[in-house]
Amino acid sequence: MAANGGRPALGFWRETAQLVGAVGRAMGITLRNLFRKPVTVHYPDVQRPYPDRFRGILALTYDPETGEENCIGCRLCEYVCPPQVIKVEMLKATKRNYAKTFTLELYACEFCELCVQVCPTDAIVMLKSFDLATADRRDLLLDKDRLHALGREFEPSWATGNRLRDMQAPPKPARAEAKVEAKVEAKGETKEPTE
Amino acid sequence: MTLPPVARAALGAFIVLNAIILLVTYATLLERKFAARMQSRIGPYYVGRPHGWLQPIADALKLMLKEDVVPAAADRGVYNLAPVVFLVPCMLIFATIPFAPELGVADLNIGVLFFLAVSSLEIVGLFMGGWGSNNKYALLSAMRAVNQIISYDLPFIFAALVPVLLAGSLQMSAIVAAQQGLWFAFYPVIGQLAFVAYLVATLAAENRVPFDILEAESELVAGFRVEYSGMKFALIQLGEYAHMLGTSFLGALLFLGGWLGPGPAWLGPLWFLAKAVLVFLVVTWVRWSFVRIRVDQILAISWKLLLPATLVLLLATGFVVATRGAGGG
Amino acid sequence: MPDTQAKQVVELGYGGNERLMMNMGPQHPSSHGVFRMILTLEGETVVGVDAVIGYLHRCHEKLGETLTYVQYPSIASKTDYVAAMTSELAYVSAVEKIARIDVPKRAQYLRVIAAELQRIASHCLWLGTWCLDMGGALGGGATVFLYAIREREMVLDRFEELTGARLLYGFHQVGGTRYDVPPGWETKVRETVDFIEQRIDEYEAMLEHNTFFRVRTQGVGVISRELAQDVGVSGPLIRGSGVNYDVRRAEPYSSYGDFDFVVPVETEGDCYARYRVRMVEFRQSIRIIRQALDGLPEGPISSRPGVKSVGQVRVPKGEGYARVEGARGEVGCYIISDGSPKPYRMKWRGASFSNLAVLPHIVPGHKVADVVAIMGSVDPVFGEVDR
Repeated sequence: MAANGGRPALGFWRETAQLVGAVGRAMGITLRNLFRKPVTVHYPDVQRPYPDRFRGILALTYDPETGEENCIGCRLCEYVCPPQVIKVEMLKATKRNYAKTFTLELYACEFCELCVQVCPTDAIVMLKSFDLATADRRDLLLDKDRLHALGREFEPSWATGNRLRDMQAPPKPARAEAKVEAKVEAKGETKEPTE
Repeated sequence: MTLPPVARAALGAFIVLNAIILLVTYATLLERKFAARMQSRIGPYYVGRPHGWLQPIADALKLMLKEDVVPAAADRGVYNLAPVVFLVPCMLIFATIPFAPELGVADLNIGVLFFLAVSSLEIVGLFMGGWGSNNKYALLSAMRAVNQIISYDLPFIFAALVPVLLAGSLQMSAIVAAQQGLWFAFYPVIGQLAFVAYLVATLAAENRVPFDILEAESELVAGFRVEYSGMKFALIQLGEYAHMLGTSFLGALLFLGGWLGPGPAWLGPLWFLAKAVLVFLVVTWVRWSFVRIRVDQILAISWKLLLPATLVLLLATGFVVATRGAGGG
Repeated sequence: MPDTQAKQVVELGYGGNERLMMNMGPQHPSSHGVFRMILTLEGETVVGVDAVIGYLHRCHEKLGETLTYVQYPSIASKTDYVAAMTSELAYVSAVEKIARIDVPKRAQYLRVIAAELQRIASHCLWLGTWCLDMGGALGGGATVFLYAIREREMVLDRFEELTGARLLYGFHQVGGTRYDVPPGWETKVRETVDFIEQRIDEYEAMLEHNTFFRVRTQGVGVISRELAQDVGVSGPLIRGSGVNYDVRRAEPYSSYGDFDFVVPVETEGDCYARYRVRMVEFRQSIRIIRQALDGLPEGPISSRPGVKSVGQVRVPKGEGYARVEGARGEVGCYIISDGSPKPYRMKWRGASFSNLAVLPHIVPGHKVADVVAIMGSVDPVFGEVDR
């Protein structure tokens, strides 16, 4: 019936037997799958549990003890962002600096987590949610208030700047461990210790 | 009730036509759910929770409300007429199928012949659709379709003739009556092989995978139907599934004993429906399990394998009937 | 009747010497991306192929010049977006080669695990889309597609637990990897890999001796050994034509020399041979993953401190080319650096770009339906072709 590409051709009865066998096997597998439970997740009635490190939408955080904004307006995230979606203006103040304005164009964001990685104060984090679909693109131009509101609304992922950098650094074992422990204690119970 | 015969026939036709349309729409839902379960997913679910009961109605409404787009360079007459020419034979075949010993629109004494002849007329509508669309893909598909359906109609007819020979009549109710003892699908060798040949020829005549080269969504993007949308597409879809169900009904009638089954006589039509649905599901099961084969291979299977096989089968049946007749008197 | 296209077609003659030019255009269900093939048909047989690419050109090589070595790895995954891990690996390997940066052993093993898991996921997608093309979106092809995607989803879940993303990871960085394994991940990967091994048996049962599948793929799209070597294809295409060439063996990178695996080679060179090669690669990838998990050493995941600023990685002047065995073939990245945080020039060697060059040689003579089977077995990803 067709060139076998150089393979030995089987006789007619052998081919027919193989055909019948193949048909039976293939139909058997579809029949077996008929009785398996479907893998469908009934989103949005049922949510799939997000893994700890899920890279969702971005948000700015507050310091849990003092209630102050974590962002010091250093603009490191603005420089590292590959599609340049972050724009920050620094506001100088006496003890520490703040961000005067912080805009993030979520519609162009690549969700690469580089901004989270470089942030020295763990100010910007990614959340365990991606559900921010809108009908108007301007709703995805997140300003500082919106970013803080998102931070309060959804659960943040495990990854923050310091955690990522500590994970990547070559070991200076005692010092690294001490640093991690100190941070976990300092942050208390608000951030879940998921390590 | 003593209505004049014309009124009775018209009433019967009206009832059957509506019943078939309803059955066909829900056959699409059945196929979608069945296929979905075989693929580890759930089929239609949300429209008419929890099992999508209203999905076919929703689809029908959507298609009715769609804009009627006709390609600018299409041959308007042929293009507009094609779905109708496609649909009418597919509906007409149900006229000859009796659903119970006395329940049918027209239980002709050449019932099987009429069925087979009229069901082949859909090719005309198909080719009109491909031609009138003024689209190279549609034309390619229509040409393949003519090739394939004509090639497979012959084995289809010969496979369907085996029960006719075994029963000795072209009348459908007589064929069912002849299966009182043993259904023809289980008749040693010739019945069983004829049933398999019938199923294979049905797959091909219906353009179902593995013989669906004429649609070939991944190559020709819907084949001859590519330029149709809205209600015309609905008519074509209706015609396809009606033809599919029609050949399933014929298969159930010729091979699986029609309305014969345990229980009281009024259960007969329900058994018939169940058997037809079973044939439909088997064809669907095959459809969702295999990849398709090329058009030259399809034609090779038909002319080199299926046609000689069914011819031999027919000869063997004739021989069996002749010796049975001579022996039994 | 107006002078319609249909009428012209028939007047040209069917099956005679006259020809029909048909566009298997950029928007087509089985062109595996945006790819335009202008087919010249005589009846149902293809006599000429004119391939047009460039519909997905996104200026990767220019982006490579404007983004630093810290920023680009996340973008590198977008070239071969189906097998993102290997694309990133090519880029960071090139940078590490020029700067002579050592990658810690644990990072190398993690890279291997990621690459092989990615190969499994990519081949799942290949199998699914190939059968989908051959079997129809409403037919058996869709069934195999959904089974393959179901298994691929499990691998993507593992990647999501590792990096947070499912398709474009940003897992590699210069000097090592960016993420370490979360607790419990290794067990889950072993379970996933065991599960997929059983399911591969199911796919083979559905396809291997299936006459329909065999008549569709045997003898179709034969690439002879000489043609493969002349044109410069790589990956499963060249291994299906009898040449035992695998970058993991020819030039072992990232401690592939530590692992024991078989490189499948078939001699016939048709679509079925390439199918067999990839199915064996499935199992060999599982084997490598198990070995890597067993031998995963402790240690740092990067030889450089964590990224704190965009210009952190500086590479001395030089040039270097690194190649990896991607799921589709040899993926290479050539970088010329000039001492600054950005490359002076970056060039991708896309595996699919070279693989596609074989099409005008093997397609003519086949039917239209075979074109689809051949495209599927060549398995191009147009992110790599057009960059």
